[in-house]
Amino acid sequence: MAAATDGLRSPAGPLIGRSVPRLDGFHKATGRFAYGTDVVVAGMLHGRVARSPYPHARIRAIDTSAALATPGVVAVVTGRDLPERRFGALVKDETVLAVDVVRYVGQPVAAVAALAVEAAIEAAARIAVEYDPLPAVDTPEAALRAGAPLVHEAWTTYVAHPQLIRAGNVCGAATIAKGDPSRGLADADHVFEDVFTTEPVHQAYLEPRVAIAAWEPPGVLTVHSNTQLPFEAQTVLADLLGIPPGRVRVITTGIGGAFGGKLRVGVEHIAAVLAQRVGRPVRIVLTMAEEFAAAYPRHAMRITLRTGVRRDGTIVAKEAHALLDAGAFGGSSPGLPSVATLVLAGPYRIPHLSIEATSVYTHKQNFGSYRAPTGPQCAFAVESQMDMIARRLRLDPLEFRLRNIVRDGDEGPSGQVFGKVSLEAALRKAAAAIGWGHRRQPHHGKGLACSWWTTTGGPSAVYARLHADGTATLATGCAEIGTGALTAVAQIFADDLGLPVENVTLISADTLATPYDHGAQGSRSTFAVGNAARAAAADIRRQVLGLAAEVLEARVSDLGLRDGRVYVRGTPSRQVELGDVVRLAMQRHGGLVSSGTFVAPATPYKTDCVSGHFYPAFHAPSFHAHAAEVVVDPETGTVRALRYVVAQDVGKAINPRLIEGQIEGGVVQGLGQALRERIAYQGAYPLVHNFSDYALPRCGDVPQITSILIEEPSDSGPHGARGVGEPPIITPPAAIANAVHDAVGARVTDLPLSPERVLRAMRGRLEGAA
Amino acid sequence: MLPRTRRVRVALDVNGRRHVLQIPPHHTLLDLLRAHLGLLGTKESCGEGVCGACTVLLDGRPINACVMLGASAHGRSVTTVEGLSQDGTLHPLQLAFVECGAIQCGYCTPGMLLSAKALLDVCPAPSDEQIRQSLSGNLCRCTGFVKIIDAVRLAARRLAAGSG
Repeated sequence: MAAATDGLRSPAGPLIGRSVPRLDGFHKATGRFAYGTDVVVAGMLHGRVARSPYPHARIRAIDTSAALATPGVVAVVTGRDLPERRFGALVKDETVLAVDVVRYVGQPVAAVAALAVEAAIEAAARIAVEYDPLPAVDTPEAALRAGAPLVHEAWTTYVAHPQLIRAGNVCGAATIAKGDPSRGLADADHVFEDVFTTEPVHQAYLEPRVAIAAWEPPGVLTVHSNTQLPFEAQTVLADLLGIPPGRVRVITTGIGGAFGGKLRVGVEHIAAVLAQRVGRPVRIVLTMAEEFAAAYPRHAMRITLRTGVRRDGTIVAKEAHALLDAGAFGGSSPGLPSVATLVLAGPYRIPHLSIEATSVYTHKQNFGSYRAPTGPQCAFAVESQMDMIARRLRLDPLEFRLRNIVRDGDEGPSGQVFGKVSLEAALRKAAAAIGWGHRRQPHHGKGLACSWWTTTGGPSAVYARLHADGTATLATGCAEIGTGALTAVAQIFADDLGLPVENVTLISADTLATPYDHGAQGSRSTFAVGNAARAAAADIRRQVLGLAAEVLEARVSDLGLRDGRVYVRGTPSRQVELGDVVRLAMQRHGGLVSSGTFVAPATPYKTDCVSGHFYPAFHAPSFHAHAAEVVVDPETGTVRALRYVVAQDVGKAINPRLIEGQIEGGVVQGLGQALRERIAYQGAYPLVHNFSDYALPRCGDVPQITSILIEEPSDSGPHGARGVGEPPIITPPAAIANAVHDAVGARVTDLPLSPERVLRAMRGRLEGAA
Repeated sequence: MLPRTRRVRVALDVNGRRHVLQIPPHHTLLDLLRAHLGLLGTKESCGEGVCGACTVLLDGRPINACVMLGASAHGRSVTTVEGLSQDGTLHPLQLAFVECGAIQCGYCTPGMLLSAKALLDVCPAPSDEQIRQSLSGNLCRCTGFVKIIDAVRLAARRLAAGSG
């Protein structure tokens, strides 16, 4: 199909800052791209999971005889059949299948492998489990009450990270303490206390999680899965199965959406134990009902803020208390209070801080790392309160923010020192683009909000190889989760070598074939893999120029690389094809290969002002301001977003169109959480089973979105790039809540801003006025 | 051994080719395409007709293949994403989706393309509102839809200009 792709070729020349089409676009547009749901392995069986119907119950007995008698069933496995090994990122508190006790609706209790999907479904339904239901705790507040049932009675016996703060149902806690907050609050002219709550929301990736596990000679467990973190899956599987990690090959398939929902092991371990049991490959594809009941959605949070402000609008002190509903297992939750405290401090100069966030076990599914975990909840609280304070003090919300934001050289909440801070520019640009301060129509309103976020560090390594046809292969352990980050990496690599970007073939995310990578998470892929790719390109470029210098009888310093050729500067007719250099290298020493590594430099912070932190500082931080215009229907309370502006410091826009795509997608996900999305629960029982119960934004709901890219280079990113993927989702709930208040004078402090909440707030305002 | 299930005969056109199949009566049109014809471009997500990932054209009209029995497609004509490009040339919608950045993870893309084609087939110069309405049955979690709307607009313009 060479002719077909001609339109997709990029012109020659520098690639940085160019919106080249994504490298996998052609295959995705033609239906040829293989996702997890498309992968099959010869001879595979089909797995199915039987799950708990109770939030908390003792398993009295499991009778698998009817399941085993189902035609086509090969094996049934229960928790008691497996060695008792636990997994978990910071605390190992979870078994593959429940043993004796179930702790949430949807917890895996048993699994079957059968010749056909239908037989597996039928057999799983025939597993007879006798339960004694036990009292369940359905909120962090309930779980912290004296005498509340412990979600894990044996929590003290679990292996946990030594710095992790745990106690009973508390599975993680972090604090920031700076200055003297009580004195700060006492000295303030006004102290404002407000409480905010959010409900759980789901990543709602369209492709469910899938794994195919196969034991292959010589004793290698190969797992194809749509995981974001193959190397974490490798470690967890090796641990659970008692085999060396070098014998676990996890290969990430194409991924149909992830957004943090496919970080932690979710189905791979069950497929692997079934495959081990039956000695054949086993494939499990989860149903959407399983995805809504037993995944890693965003935490519900309850946040209390006390902020002390001087009469002139200067913030002097802040106290914040936040509770995260962790669900029944740790997963990502123990590490996230740390992140929450940094967002709760906000991008503001505040001399006195006392901030604490706590993850608490409940009898619900394991809430986890949805894109910018804790960001939207904390920013909703902080930025709603900023607006509330501004209006109470009769200050303009923009001016109030500008008076308090951090600036160049300021210190962050944990003592990190900022370089250039582009927040004022972001706020002013967003405000200007939305027409801040201009007269508005009835029931129309405008809202502003701003925040900050990290570019997650962690190591990356790549292998590079040049081929005799002048093309290159770049092997990275990082998966392409849909953002296009690996296209940006290919641009960075190709640019350094003077190659057309289409000449770079990416091999990704295979734990035995590609080098280690911290993974596609935390807005880090372009940043970290891009840096590793630059190192590999520099090495291979040195080799190329050394050989070309011999061929061209020129000095290395006089040589340049462009369009797949090495040429002598000043005499471009003296040139050699890259492929010829590669062939020479193959004869001499087996070819042109290199590797490159990158480890993000540690960001210094003040160790004495934080406790329980796993992310004590935000690396290569990005600052962003959002502005929204909404219209509220006064009869129904329905909010419609009309226009939306994002001004975000991206450091350097390697591929502006890909970045716009991240911004637009993040904003619309954020609008979903702002206005409609929630995983409804009745007590500890989830009420959402599919997209029909979960109000995702659709094409007709989307406002006009304007992306303003600010380029203030970071110290450590490739060409100065900063992480861009997560920030856009952080600020929309706050911007929308502020716009709704501007429109109808009603303040909603609970997400989502459903029509009934907006109406209730409007009525409360009228009653209050009467 | 599995018990032998009853099979039904289905004769249909898929992307202009005639197929005669024996399929289990409970298999959906999506099963027919993926499991019996090996056409993996059509995706399954919700499995209950609300997300649009499995959208195909049935006699030119967009339908959710996951909630239609394969046997019901007897005598009908089906277009899937594999039928969009002709002789190795991308359909203008496909090209515009790639160029405009309308694809991220791409899982919704096949269904989105077919919903868009159904629109342009009957309405060659759609307004933005018509584009939004026509694509409202197709969920996309990655893009926020902005660039998808851009791509449909661009493809419509190119088709109208006859440049492909």
